Amino acid sequence: MDILMILFTLLGGITLSAQSSVQGTFSRKAGTIETTFLTMLTGLVFLTIIVIFFGQGNVLGILSAPVWQLSAAFLGTGFLILSVIAVPRIGVIATNVAVISGQLAISMMIDHFGWFDSLVISFDWKRLAAMLFMIIAVFFIYQGNKRSSMEANS
Amino acid sequence: MRYLAYILAVLAGAALSFESAIYGQLGETIGELETSFYNFFMGTLIMGLLWLFFGKGRLSYAMEAPKWSLLGGILGVVYLTAIVISVPFVGVGITMVTVIIGQLIMSMVIEHFGWFGIKQTSINKEKIFAVISMIIALILIN
Repeated sequence: MDILMILFTLLGGITLSAQSSVQGTFSRKAGTIETTFLTMLTGLVFLTIIVIFFGQGNVLGILSAPVWQLSAAFLGTGFLILSVIAVPRIGVIATNVAVISGQLAISMMIDHFGWFDSLVISFDWKRLAAMLFMIIAVFFIYQGNKRSSMEANS
Repeated sequence: MRYLAYILAVLAGAALSFESAIYGQLGETIGELETSFYNFFMGTLIMGLLWLFFGKGRLSYAMEAPKWSLLGGILGVVYLTAIVISVPFVGVGITMVTVIIGQLIMSMVIEHFGWFGIKQTSINKEKIFAVISMIIALILIN
């Protein structure tokens, strides 16, 4: 069962990459704002159907949820706009590596300070080393992209 | 301009992390699927407004574009649902690592073959080093 779940999650990662590519391509002809809007709209339609059939929670709970929790929607929208902007300019790998680095760096901060009632996990040397490797990764991607574009031009 | 795009992508990741921490809380009170629904609902409203006031592109391109290029939203839902379902089974740590590995491998494949209309750029050793560094970082964090 666990193996099946892990494969399913792997599929989640695969679709995330596919999503950023598909949107990057669409945005070149339709525009950044238009692409993000369309993604949100189609996702909404799709989720409406899913929630109607499989939703076991309480959608109306939104009305009584604390405002700071609801403000996450701006972050979700921000993420989408920023990734739509980045893909056509620096490519899929670079965008994904940079996104993951930002994601992990902030996750470690949230863990360290215990923000949002999360479990406190202190920043230690292993995590510091992980940060260094992420910076190295972004640097390599930058170098690799520079080389590919030079080869393409020559 | 290129530097800026890298910075924007890192910021996007930072936003994603804050978002998932906060939505984790919201999910406990109103349900996971409902939380995703809320995200896309508000997102549609925010983007609808932005589009009305600042949209300079061409939304009608959606009618002529190849149909696969409209699948972004649905792929996003698959990603969100996969995470929501898998966390209770295998935990957040393994879930994130698995998602990221899937994301990195798929990015390499897409760019190498130029799928989905992405400019084809062959994998070179720098990119492979980058992915290996990311995997080392993941092992160190967990």
